[in-house]
Amino acid sequence: MSFEWLNPYHLQVGSFILINILLGISIYVTLATGQLSLGNAGFMSIGAYASAILTTQHGFSIPSAIVIGSLLAGVSGILVGIPALRLRGVYLAIATLGFGEVLRVVFINWESLTGGAVGIAAIPQMGREILAAVEAAGFSPEDWGLRNNQFISLSIFLILAAVVVLAILFFLRLLSSRVGRAYTAIRMDETAAETSGIDTTYYKVLAFSQGALLSGLAGALFAHATSYISPADFTYHRAVEILVFAVFGGSEALFGPVFGATLLTLLPELLRAISDYRYIVYGILVVLTMVFRPQGLIDPALVAMLTREKPAGGS
Amino acid sequence: MLEVRGLATSYGNIKALKGIDLDVAPGSVVCLLGANGAGKTTFMKTVTGLLAPASGNISFEGEKIAGLSPAAIVRKGISLVPEGRAILSRMTVLENLEMGAYHRRDREVRKDLDGILARFPALAARKGQRGGFLSGGEQQMLAIGRALMARPKLLLLDEPSLGLAPFVVSDIFRILREINAEGTTVLLVEQNARQALKASGYAYVLETGRIAHQGTSSELRNDPKIKEAYLGGRQ
Repeated sequence: MSFEWLNPYHLQVGSFILINILLGISIYVTLATGQLSLGNAGFMSIGAYASAILTTQHGFSIPSAIVIGSLLAGVSGILVGIPALRLRGVYLAIATLGFGEVLRVVFINWESLTGGAVGIAAIPQMGREILAAVEAAGFSPEDWGLRNNQFISLSIFLILAAVVVLAILFFLRLLSSRVGRAYTAIRMDETAAETSGIDTTYYKVLAFSQGALLSGLAGALFAHATSYISPADFTYHRAVEILVFAVFGGSEALFGPVFGATLLTLLPELLRAISDYRYIVYGILVVLTMVFRPQGLIDPALVAMLTREKPAGGS
Repeated sequence: MLEVRGLATSYGNIKALKGIDLDVAPGSVVCLLGANGAGKTTFMKTVTGLLAPASGNISFEGEKIAGLSPAAIVRKGISLVPEGRAILSRMTVLENLEMGAYHRRDREVRKDLDGILARFPALAARKGQRGGFLSGGEQQMLAIGRALMARPKLLLLDEPSLGLAPFVVSDIFRILREINAEGTTVLLVEQNARQALKASGYAYVLETGRIAHQGTSSELRNDPKIKEAYLGGRQ
């Protein structure tokens, strides 16, 4: 059997799509309580740097470093989320954007730990580690008809795909549970939620830190997929890019940002020739979405139609 | 049942409540009257924990509740029907009612839900529709139904007659009397003094953050000053 058609470049694009889907879900979860956070690029950098530093400087294994990096991002989410509760709407967006920028400046200047603006290179890469493990066990990708670089890209892609599927299943379940009802009620009317006995503080911080944890996970996976990170990976461009996934794809259904992340990551690759202008394309797409479909391309009514359920609202 | 002593609440430098003393006896209907800006809504929000008091004390069934979170106060047995109804407009009528029982873990939620749908036939007829598609009167009933789903001992209503047609208003006051007759204590904030004094047993009049008058509702109804200020002079 031959997998000659399996192109490592395509797999790499696929991997970036999957990482961006995680980021899209992360902003969606926070938005589910009506909080617009632009700090997810910052939380992503916490996960990425923590995991990279733990593996390169302290000899941690990749899986344990990823878990610790994500949890660290989640805990920072709680710490940022509690004071952020006092802010609403655009003020929260600005404060969280500022948080991400502060972190980036810290990473640039704390050279002894983070390598400064140069970043951290030679981070253990998931695919190569798996290849090494497979070869140590006496196998070779050749046995399965794969070249080494195909095998590396494929294993990263599959790991990410598994993580994304688990994240989607987890949050679909969460959002249709008691917790999800509380999120929805808070998003619709915070006073009504409070007077219904919902502990809004708890649920808002919970949503905020869930988003942060997921961003951290995406960051850690990103570090071990690319094996190189630098502060330039986590600028406000990244924060806005994540926001655009939700604006473009839709922020009222989980599959909105998933779809937005997929399309907007794929688009510059498809339009390789005009890649320099991709932010122009972004801008045009976002403006068109706002004009013609302000709720985003995917909304609950569309999801209901596609899954052949009756929409909750009747008419 | 509810005991408020020296309650003061401020928005920054602006003192909205300047020392309120108010009592609600178990099983009674008490109303708090006042013009716009007198501090009625501020009072309700402070009692339910949506605002933090600057000073003073609130106790419910002998227990201090000032400073607790709104969710904790709902669990103690105080439910608020907020001003302007605060319907979860994109949830269905049924989902709105279910949200009212959010903190309950007992097995009688379903029974209470059926009871409320029986009490409000208009809601039962539209239970699958979104809350936002209801008329103003139906939304008010939904807000009351949602508050009742928490099984409150004390029901607080902030201007339930606001913006509703007169026949809907009398409907709502009839329902309030029924709810009270079944054992729920009611504290009502109103601008519609005539209806509120008819429905209540005791009344307080709030003027710029202070209690200006109080007495049984029938006394206040016949008080010439109240008549002039709140009941439109001659009846």
